[in-house]
Amino acid sequence: MAEEKKPLVSGFLKSTQFLELDGCTRCQECMKWCPTYDVYNDRPEITPMYKIAKFRELLGSQNGLRAKLFGAKELNEDEINQFMDDTYMCTTCGVCGTVCSSGINTVELWEAIRPNLVTRGNGPWGKQNFFPILLGKDRNPYQAKQEDRLCFVPDDAEVLDSAKIAYFAGCTAAYRQQALGVATVRILNSLDIPFCMLGKDEWCCSSALVRTGQRDVMRDHAVHNVDALKDRGVETVVYACAGCLRTATIDWPRWYEGYIPYKNVPLAVYLREKVDSGEVEWKLPLNDLKVTYHDPCHSGRHLMHVNGRDWAFEAPRDVYKAIPGLHYQEMTRSREFQRCCGAGGGVKAGQPDLALGCAVARVRDGEEVEADVISSTCPFCRRNIMDGRNEAGSSVKVADQVELMAAAMGLDVVIPDNPYMEYQEQDEIACKGEICQMEETAETKAQDVDGY
Amino acid sequence: MAFYTLGLTFSIMIALTVAVLAVWIYGLYFNFKKWGMGSTGYQDELRNSFWLFIATWIHEAFKDGIWVFIKTLILDVFLLRRTLRRSPIRWVMHMSIFYGFLMLATFSGLGMVMDVIEHFDVFGLAHFAEMVKVWSQLPFDIFGYLLFFGITISVIRRIFLKDVRGNTTAYDVVLIGGVFLITITGFYAEWLRGNSFLVGDAFTNPIYAPHFSLIHTILALALFAFILPWSRYIHVIAAPLTILANRGGE
Repeated sequence: MAEEKKPLVSGFLKSTQFLELDGCTRCQECMKWCPTYDVYNDRPEITPMYKIAKFRELLGSQNGLRAKLFGAKELNEDEINQFMDDTYMCTTCGVCGTVCSSGINTVELWEAIRPNLVTRGNGPWGKQNFFPILLGKDRNPYQAKQEDRLCFVPDDAEVLDSAKIAYFAGCTAAYRQQALGVATVRILNSLDIPFCMLGKDEWCCSSALVRTGQRDVMRDHAVHNVDALKDRGVETVVYACAGCLRTATIDWPRWYEGYIPYKNVPLAVYLREKVDSGEVEWKLPLNDLKVTYHDPCHSGRHLMHVNGRDWAFEAPRDVYKAIPGLHYQEMTRSREFQRCCGAGGGVKAGQPDLALGCAVARVRDGEEVEADVISSTCPFCRRNIMDGRNEAGSSVKVADQVELMAAAMGLDVVIPDNPYMEYQEQDEIACKGEICQMEETAETKAQDVDGY
Repeated sequence: MAFYTLGLTFSIMIALTVAVLAVWIYGLYFNFKKWGMGSTGYQDELRNSFWLFIATWIHEAFKDGIWVFIKTLILDVFLLRRTLRRSPIRWVMHMSIFYGFLMLATFSGLGMVMDVIEHFDVFGLAHFAEMVKVWSQLPFDIFGYLLFFGITISVIRRIFLKDVRGNTTAYDVVLIGGVFLITITGFYAEWLRGNSFLVGDAFTNPIYAPHFSLIHTILALALFAFILPWSRYIHVIAAPLTILANRGGE
């Protein structure tokens, strides 16, 4: 029996996205900004302009005038696999959409093309295949136990079962960068903010699934997390992970059919309010650290039209500028024009060399402004920039904003002993006497085992 | 005075124009139908409907209200704000081509209507129609120069900027080269007729003027109806529609 021919497009693309494919003027602006083309500049086919042209050509062979008159051409699988390769060589950072003369919403476009490739059996790429399996089985990408979600929370910290404010930690803070989780909990406690966490009811936000076009498990996770937050009577959810924030703000509501009563707030916005109202007590100034901020794509470009530029770009900067002993330095490429760290869109798992290349470029951006520390509000950016730093042999340190803040507040951020200690991957902030300094972490076991 | 040659008559030209317009309109319908293949929303099934594309486009374009639509139309479609932000030179080029092309097309359409009025003396307005045609010669020339200016920048960019040249494909060459050729033949036809803006009667040659006029018309109509809707040059229509649907874009 002949093998069934799979259509190029089986769904997922909106009619206005078909329009977008024809809207490209070939002005080449996206090529100037694409972070992956910066790394593989001998492969123009991975740039948005070429990908759109190729997909349009493939579609034309099935639905163009010639196809209508003489019948559709048989799809060449090698050609489609090559297109799949090019399409997955993208971090979905969205800078191409920001600079596009035609205003094409490129992130949404890639995320609509990818599921079609997955449905055909061409995608995803490499280790990205494991995402739905891991999430379906463990509800997190690190093969960790859900019961251990709160293992990083110190015994003397106060985390409620239900409250009006919830802290959605995310998988990376819960299992791989627990210093971030501890710092967040400590800061919220020190500000006397009653908050709850979902514990074992917190499932992965599933960002990686949406970005790589594997939507099957997504619905379960989105619906589960929203229901869990609603069950606890939450009114505000704070996120210290840009990926979770983006997915909860944009993607979950697409899958959840009921009313969502709470608002999603970046932790930086929440903390800025506290800083501005004078509730934050600074105790230990940082040791004249020159810090630059890496805008995560997910909380910046992806959300600037949802939450506004102030939330997306200015709130984190205002927090840095308030930390005593910290000298803030802007990188040349910042805000909506920042250079992606290279971890997003499944690239870290699928094409680690490409992710590393992007991260090295970002580290060079930090070195260019002589920063001591590249800081961010996304644990996944941090992880990749650290890898880039190690690859480049740079002396620059990498830290999350929350940890810098906790150090300056003189909070105890020691991670309690737990089963994931050997997987921890973060530069540490050591506070001795009256000053705090950054110390580089050794390589951890996480780098050997994580597919994420 | 109309310029006809090689046995062409007024009636044949009108019939050809109607045929070309019909091809153009069908081309648009074909593209709208193609875009209508998509769904109306996230996770929705494919629809394959001309009307649902229109409905989805209207829904998207007006999602943030009428004022956002108007603002986007003025700033991003008419004034090409997104291009200006990225490259002032490219903006000058695009504005020149956009308005040059648009106004020439408008005046061509007006000229055709005036030809019909003059030929059949509709409502006794033949003399008025002739006056309008004379009056429109100057703006015709000015917008022709504008288009020529823009297309010249485009050709120069493609030749002299290394990155731009490196990513120039045959499609780009055909489009830019085609528009360049049409503009040049248009000018030459106009100059041969005499009494032209800037050059006066320097190139006047009534014998060959109709021939060049015909070449210019055939090239322009071929690009307009037989190439534009059926190739990636449909971006001329799709790009403004995209900007409006995305309410100005990111």
